[in-house]
Amino acid sequence: MQVVSVDQGQVCMRLTPQSWMFAQEDTKEICTSVLYSLADSAGGLAVFAGALELMPIATLDLRMDYLRPASGDQALLAVATCRHLTDEVAFIHCDILSEGNRELLATANATFMRNTQGQQFHAGGRGKESA
Amino acid sequence: MSTTGDSAQHISGAAESGKECADWQALLERIPYARHLGLEVQRGDAGVLVHLPCREALIGNFMLPALHGGVLGALIELTARVAAQSQDTETRCPRILDSHINYLRSAQARSTFARADIIRQGRRTSLVQVTCWQGDENKPIATGQVQLLLPTMAAQQEDRHGH
Repeated sequence: MQVVSVDQGQVCMRLTPQSWMFAQEDTKEICTSVLYSLADSAGGLAVFAGALELMPIATLDLRMDYLRPASGDQALLAVATCRHLTDEVAFIHCDILSEGNRELLATANATFMRNTQGQQFHAGGRGKESA
Repeated sequence: MSTTGDSAQHISGAAESGKECADWQALLERIPYARHLGLEVQRGDAGVLVHLPCREALIGNFMLPALHGGVLGALIELTARVAAQSQDTETRCPRILDSHINYLRSAQARSTFARADIIRQGRRTSLVQVTCWQGDENKPIATGQVQLLLPTMAAQQEDRHGH
């Protein structure tokens, strides 16, 4: 997963498909769970982009709607937006698109808890990373 | 796997449970992403379980450390898919329509298990509830509801020719 851009409250991430991400042997369709992971990662980053600070966060819930099958021929783009931020909670929306034709493949709505227990981030330290 | 609701089916006998495990394993092995995660089927007290062994690549937060939320999402979605497919008399390949996952406790870097309960297996759709836990089955770390579409024969053929 690569981070393409981070603006205030919005993050764009890109994922190049690999054959191990497929849902079936015989079709080149990317497994929905890969889109789920991408949305969770981009959503987490959007919390930091919205809050403009690095604090430990935790996903409370995430709801995905899979609109179209994701073809393994094209890279995936995730655009995650921080819709609202309170001291404790961040509300995130994320769209997953195919890079070439910009078709909407899936949408996600997630809630993240902010300032959860855990060590504070240090400059240059490892934060919420992708699997 | 246990089934709830009016279509309740109870697995009787160890032999049937063994066959169900083998069926689930065969379905999982056909999913490249499930192989990548290393998902394994096990026989639990109340039915079939899916086991996600922990390894470093699956960790999302190295500070805690904790499993990546997306990995739990994958465990839940793939368990739901295999549960729905194994219940379908035509073993059609279900398409996941949506999933809603609630994270209840921190997922530590250790073995995780998932159990599926089919809320409703319809003619065209299936709704599956999946529960994930680590040490104690009574302390779930995440639950999810997954809605799946069981494609009609016409749609399957169109899919084959269309893509």
